Amino acid sequence: MKISLILPVFSLCLGLFAEAGPYEIIDILTADAPTSSRSKEWKPGSGIALEVSGMDWMKDGRLALVTRKGEVWLVEGVLGGDPQKVGFKLFASGLHEPLGALAEGGGLLVAQRTEVTRLRDTDGDGVADEYLNAGRGWNISGAYHGYAYGPKRDGAGKPWVTLNLDMGDHSDNKAPWRGWAGVIGADGEFIPMAAGMRSPCGLGANSQGDMFCVDQQGTWIPSTPIYHLRKGAFFLNPEGIASQVRVDSPLRLSAKVPEKVSYPEAVRALPEMRPPAVWLPYNKMGRSGTDLAVCDARGKFGPFDGQLMVAEFTDAKVGRVFLEKVDGEYQGATFPFLDGFASGIVRLLFAGDGSLMVGMTSRGWSSLGTKAYGLQRVRWTGESVFEIKEMRARSDGFELVFTEPVDVASAGRTDSYTLKSYTYLYSSAYGSDEIESDELRVMSATAAKDARSVRLKVEGLRELFVHELRANGVRSVAGAPLVHPDAYYTLNRIPSER
Amino acid sequence: MKALLLLLATVGFVSEASGAPLVTGFERFHSKAASVEGGRLLFNELGCVNCHDVKTGLPSRSGPAIAGVTARLNAAWLREFLSNPDGAHHGSGMPRMLHGYEPVDIEAAIQYLGSLKPKGSAKLKVSRHTNARRGGELFHSVGCVACHAPRKDFKLGETIPSEADFTHASVTLPELKAKTSLAHLADFLLDPLKVRPDGRMPHMGLNEDDATDIAAYLIGFESSDPRLSPEVKSIATDAVLIERGRKIVAEARCAACHELPRDVGVEKVALKGAGGACLNPDTVKGIPRYGLSKAQVDALKSFLSAPGAEWSPTEQAALTVQSLNCVACHERDGIGGPDAARKHYFEGDHNLGDTGRYPPPLTAVGRKLQTDWMQKVLAGENRVRPYLKTRMPVYGASVQHLEKVLEEADTVVSSPLPGGDDTAGRKLLGTVGGIGCITCHRWGERASLGIQALDLSNLGQRIRPEWLYEYLLNPAAYRPGTLMPSFWPGGFSSNMAILGGDTAKQIASIYSFAKSANGEPEGFPTAGSSEFELVPKDRPIVQRTFMEGVGTHAILVGFPTGVHMAYDGQKGVPALMWKGRFFDAYNTWFSRFAPFEKPLDPNVVRWPSSDRSDEKDGVRFTGYRLEPSGSPVFITMKSGARIEDRFEGIEGGLRRVLVSADLAVEPEITHPADVSVSEEPGSRKGHRSFTYLWK
Repeated sequence: MKISLILPVFSLCLGLFAEAGPYEIIDILTADAPTSSRSKEWKPGSGIALEVSGMDWMKDGRLALVTRKGEVWLVEGVLGGDPQKVGFKLFASGLHEPLGALAEGGGLLVAQRTEVTRLRDTDGDGVADEYLNAGRGWNISGAYHGYAYGPKRDGAGKPWVTLNLDMGDHSDNKAPWRGWAGVIGADGEFIPMAAGMRSPCGLGANSQGDMFCVDQQGTWIPSTPIYHLRKGAFFLNPEGIASQVRVDSPLRLSAKVPEKVSYPEAVRALPEMRPPAVWLPYNKMGRSGTDLAVCDARGKFGPFDGQLMVAEFTDAKVGRVFLEKVDGEYQGATFPFLDGFASGIVRLLFAGDGSLMVGMTSRGWSSLGTKAYGLQRVRWTGESVFEIKEMRARSDGFELVFTEPVDVASAGRTDSYTLKSYTYLYSSAYGSDEIESDELRVMSATAAKDARSVRLKVEGLRELFVHELRANGVRSVAGAPLVHPDAYYTLNRIPSER
Repeated sequence: MKALLLLLATVGFVSEASGAPLVTGFERFHSKAASVEGGRLLFNELGCVNCHDVKTGLPSRSGPAIAGVTARLNAAWLREFLSNPDGAHHGSGMPRMLHGYEPVDIEAAIQYLGSLKPKGSAKLKVSRHTNARRGGELFHSVGCVACHAPRKDFKLGETIPSEADFTHASVTLPELKAKTSLAHLADFLLDPLKVRPDGRMPHMGLNEDDATDIAAYLIGFESSDPRLSPEVKSIATDAVLIERGRKIVAEARCAACHELPRDVGVEKVALKGAGGACLNPDTVKGIPRYGLSKAQVDALKSFLSAPGAEWSPTEQAALTVQSLNCVACHERDGIGGPDAARKHYFEGDHNLGDTGRYPPPLTAVGRKLQTDWMQKVLAGENRVRPYLKTRMPVYGASVQHLEKVLEEADTVVSSPLPGGDDTAGRKLLGTVGGIGCITCHRWGERASLGIQALDLSNLGQRIRPEWLYEYLLNPAAYRPGTLMPSFWPGGFSSNMAILGGDTAKQIASIYSFAKSANGEPEGFPTAGSSEFELVPKDRPIVQRTFMEGVGTHAILVGFPTGVHMAYDGQKGVPALMWKGRFFDAYNTWFSRFAPFEKPLDPNVVRWPSSDRSDEKDGVRFTGYRLEPSGSPVFITMKSGARIEDRFEGIEGGLRRVLVSADLAVEPEITHPADVSVSEEPGSRKGHRSFTYLWK
């Protein structure tokens, strides 16, 4: 059983959708070819090159789509059954590579390279006529990678923005706040909060209102991490740390940044370094994480409410993240989930009806998605989906919670599971192999009476390591294997027994 | 332990030799067998020529500036160095001059040198931030490691060159942390010619940030704040000792190599045949002790046994480029160029193959480049290969006559090309019926259609036509591995339609069109790359981007009336106005190299930059609104009051209305240069309106 059954030939046809499996992907608008937006035949004004780089729901229910080329489209009827009846209206244009959207009042906040801009239609003609500066305070050197992402609000209503490191010509990472996250104050000034990021492309608050962000593998970043953003935290990449000397810095590293040590050693050497809540192991969970969206579908997107969906660019897929708090800090597991999207996914947004909007552009980078850009929508058909829903840490192992009752015999056998753990090398190199990999012994597997969960006792848990589980032997009551038998738990702390 | 590891890492790939002075050109090309040329090179590079009146015909070699040296270098290091130069700086070309003296004499010499007033400004140029990591990257990419040893701990992609691939000796470095301070090293790297005028350590075209970062890397300084680095320790001085030092410096003949006051000046010393005292391993007091290797002694002897020899222009050119170590990067006549290991560190545009990574050969360069051009290249101008990460250094006075030396060596008698036909040349260069040079080659500001190979628009100023002919018949003969094909294989043109396929006429025409500087070849898309040209038709188009002369917050407005503008959204002021075509958004939308853009039409005028207020003046840009017509109104705030600056396209120009009614003092208003400006009737304080008409 495969959950996403869109075939390439299928999605060539605008608006067709597959009628099989628990999740269907609906094309709303996708490009004809991988190079459409870069095609010489494409001219400004000759059509909508929907390179989605930001999405939010406007107050009036329309979907605001920000495109990489600097346009904002307001889209009507995306949740209706017929993609042909979707209406596009150009709301704003001429922005400088905007990479986020946040509805506010009747208007829209958009982070472009240089500032957060508040777009408003003051005369009611449906087109923005006011482009006011609503956020500023970071340096723009002119480097190609000098992006700004956001804003997104946390539970307290603070709008967060993340800033990419500069790379390439004109780079200046000593200048203010490259590789930092911060919030926009009431006066519009950027207030730095956390440092140590490289390409913090996607922001998202969880159900508790805590803000998270997904970064990407690269220099100093061994594999895609998801950080819990908060004041004073340093994460991984020190290339933009020079800004810590500024008076408004909330952070001053108390030790030298270590290098070429294992990641756990680095955390011990550098007190301000905060481990990612979750690592997404390279290739296994995709390659470049780009966005987060908390599932708040009230049961309409399957049994995953409260979990984070994480977008992935290169493999054009969506992963799932379960978080729990241990000793007050987030950690948790990530699971493969949906794949087969049309292009590199950049933005995710849940709709009021519980479906998931997927905004894409491949931007000339390589993606398994075969189209240059597009907007798709994922809907849960209501069909059951047999997955590991949660993976929780215990003092002596893990507890797995399943979406469906399991066959107790298979779930109770220790040989239904294999577990290994590994960490990464913390260095300035681009990405890291998995290092210090070791198998763990599964000592016992005990299914709960309701057959919804299994308690695994294992030997060899290691703090700050990724614990990779394969539950290949587990069967559903009907005898089906798990859709995705693999899960990756980032064990920052081993909980003490309560 | 860490320091030791670092030191080992620093030593890197240097193969340890005896205590002989290192002259890389000698070790690389002349150490196998004693030769007059090897001896000549040593006689010059070891500074023998500074004491003895024997001509070498090579660029002068001097010692570094040492007046006031204790401000620049740590006295502790100087003591060690003067006692035993090779101990403090293995491979140093400085001989032992003070053997036979007491430690107090060395102290006296140091104090005397320290008491002298150094030339030039004492103010050090240092960046306010340091980034040793970046310094390491620069050290390994801009060309430092063409001469010096790369460090083993610097990871270069996947490959680490093997020791066996290092076939030429690296110029050694002392322990810089002991020798000097971060600030002094940074200041030195910014302009080495100030301290070492002989150009053997050339000016690498570094800016303050680069120099500071490389200094931090070399010294192992990891903080981002250079003020935290230790300074050069000052020393207590004593007038009696200083005077004693003066005498010692005079006795030791320091002034032969180093620039010093006249009262310690020295005369030339007559040479005692080929078996001079300097060649003995254990020289007596007052005679320099070089610690020469046997090969070096033999070479010097063969040179001194043939005094007064004449050198051919070919020999002269070959030895000159060895003395300056041009051959570290460039090959000439099949000799030199980076060794297999160092090739790893030459980076550039991989789309151009090897020509995109390695500096060009110097073979025949004396008949390739025009005299003026070569002089400018040597003076640090006319850099034509922006894709090379390695920088062509500046050598200062030592290359004053280099272009003549090369011209004499490389001149061949060749028949002049026939007269060229500009029109045919233009066609040949282009893609419309021509051979399509611009498919790969840039033309001035115009990007080529494909890979971005060397700009051809300067051909007429840069290249000699005879060489162009020689080269174009078979480019690979001059540069093996070049991507450049031959369009005249065997001397026969591949294009018979133009000038009847006459090879000489075609090449002459290409040359003469380039020289005419009259237009550009056919086949560029249109003016500007214009793949994604924005054309304002019914209403103004607003587009934000990075733009030259405006900055990173440029807000462009294209008006259907044909005169456009760019506003600086950082400073809150208008910046440019241009007439003609508006803007091509290709780079803004797609380029991975983020160039600062230009208007699509060269017809540009500027607002005076004195008008470039910024937040310091209390002016803050707060955004813009678009009127129903699409005309922008830029809004700034000053002292809590709002200023609105409205622009509208009119026939042949722009109309500007600036409203500052809430402001007690009207802001200064400036206008673009070279347009006719008229204030409109009804314009009044706090509500000004102007018309800008293109002249």
